[in-house]
Amino acid sequence: MSEPRWVRAILIGLALLFLGIFLLVPLIVVFTEAFKKGAEVYLESIREPDAVAAIRLTLIAAGIAVPLNLVFGVAAAWAIAKFQFPGKSFLITLIDLPFSVSPVISGLVYILLFGLQGWLGPWLAEHEIKIIFAVPGIVLATIFVTFPFVARELIPLMQAQGSEEEEAARTLGAGGWQTFWRVTLPNIKWGLLYGVILCNARAMGEFGAVSVVSGHIRGATNTIPLHAEILYNEYNSAAAFAMASLLTILTLVTIALKALIDWKSQVEVREVGEIRERALAEA
Amino acid sequence: MSIEIRNISKSFGDFRALKDVSFKVDTGELVALLGPSGSGKTSLLRIIAGIEVPDGNDGGILIHDEDTTSISFRDRRVGFVFQHYALFRHMTIFENVAFGLRVRPRRLRPSEKIIREKVNELLKLVQLDWLGDRLPSQLSGGQRQRIALARALAVEPNVLLLDEPFGSLDAKVRKELRQWLRRFHDELKITSVFVTHDQEEALEVADRVVLMNEGRVEQVGTPEEVYHHPANAFVYNFLGNVNLFHSRVEEGKVFLGELPIDLPAESTRDAKSALVFVRPHLLEIEHQRNGGDNFHAKVTHINAAGPLVKVDLVTDWGAAVHVEISHGRYASLGLKREDEVFVRPKERRVFVEAQSGKEDSTHP
Repeated sequence: MSEPRWVRAILIGLALLFLGIFLLVPLIVVFTEAFKKGAEVYLESIREPDAVAAIRLTLIAAGIAVPLNLVFGVAAAWAIAKFQFPGKSFLITLIDLPFSVSPVISGLVYILLFGLQGWLGPWLAEHEIKIIFAVPGIVLATIFVTFPFVARELIPLMQAQGSEEEEAARTLGAGGWQTFWRVTLPNIKWGLLYGVILCNARAMGEFGAVSVVSGHIRGATNTIPLHAEILYNEYNSAAAFAMASLLTILTLVTIALKALIDWKSQVEVREVGEIRERALAEA
Repeated sequence: MSIEIRNISKSFGDFRALKDVSFKVDTGELVALLGPSGSGKTSLLRIIAGIEVPDGNDGGILIHDEDTTSISFRDRRVGFVFQHYALFRHMTIFENVAFGLRVRPRRLRPSEKIIREKVNELLKLVQLDWLGDRLPSQLSGGQRQRIALARALAVEPNVLLLDEPFGSLDAKVRKELRQWLRRFHDELKITSVFVTHDQEEALEVADRVVLMNEGRVEQVGTPEEVYHHPANAFVYNFLGNVNLFHSRVEEGKVFLGELPIDLPAESTRDAKSALVFVRPHLLEIEHQRNGGDNFHAKVTHINAAGPLVKVDLVTDWGAAVHVEISHGRYASLGLKREDEVFVRPKERRVFVEAQSGKEDSTHP
């Protein structure tokens, strides 16, 4: 605290200015634009059939992708954090893949795989299974881009916690499932919830990958972000921002939940820290 | 319930943690697995518990003369106390202790009332019944250790295994708790094995000590046996402070300066060098060369703070010698730094280094 008062004032002012321009103002813009023509128009644009279809599709995609990635994330983190096996670092890299690949590319991969001219295209067409430009494609793309969230959140947490508690549970006679439900899951619940919330936010907000596989069929294969874009391109900005405001509300809820979880899991993190310190002191 | 360890080997990658280990723990005994870190003692304990699986099929763990290789955790009935307690951090102390009862299959699970009685009884046994509704993070290290013990006892184990039970506690708590463990064991008489790297702890608490080094058992015996009749150089060196002299063998004798010492009778003829061990309190300091069964040395440092006076000396051939004498003896000698004195070993152990590197031993 040796800096003079004016230096501090400038630095804090700059930080606030940045936050304001890049975060707060856009947030305000979204809601003012959405309500520009009044609350009635806002409600109307959300209740309109194409909008309802977009909202429903977004909920379906997230409703499938999030539970699947939850199960996968827990299983992968469990395997990586608690066991040694060949190919472990390869698996970690694989889990990170969706983070390092542009979402548009992930979408294209699915087109090349399932599209009419794609590898599996002819076979799918023969059996009248439609994946690309249909709901399954959107769900697949969403699953792909949200793949790493849960696992990434859990791996460091589970590694820090170690497997002593699970071993203790087993020596006390608990079976595999009992150990998981009674010991492992309660220990990771806040980290898991955090991962799920991030995963959900991304699943609902994903644009690139979904855009490629969707085909933008109104009322059928548009999610909220895609629908917002179409409306905007049609100069229907009030409706576009009404759609955008839904995602923004999701963001705000996500932030609020995250803050709550951070606060709740502080105890957990503190304990893990203690364990780490003890282990270090030991070594 | 006795525990028999039969030809157990275990490797982790290229590292051979255990090399064909066998010994037996009798019913009701408290046995210490003692050795330096990396000697394989914890691996062995984890194999007895069934947490790790030994290599190969020719070895096994027999509990009460029954092979446990194919017995599940639940039926093995082994209580295990972890070094870092491994208490379930999200459960209260009460629920931690109750865990082993609650996870039983429905038909074997006691009623809520019986669980309650049993847990309270165990908490009383470890003298912590007032902590039932706390979380593990609210307890001190010594309290957590005792809760871990209560939790392990809840399943009425046939044998109790403790991994460095006092390893993460400070010196004073550690001393109290190990005396408590000894009394506790005398009350319950449950066959117990605990791992430690602290020789004082092992010698003080255990009925018998199993000394381990580099994955092998070096000696098994009562504390008196291993301390007074160490089987080899490692055991002698590991149990207590010791002066160690590397000496050449000449004409069947080993020399400490001008002082000749007989080689053990059964030792190999072609031995070229030997290790002579003398404990610091078994060396006598004298001003005269009485009779010549001593060697010449010079005092380099004196530390008189403590129950014994610690004198550091250096011999004519440059070896450092550490001697402990009583305060009375120290006063009558009138010892000062730089004094030229003679040192007489009252008792010593000679371990011959044969050419193979293997060591033979004998008593003085």
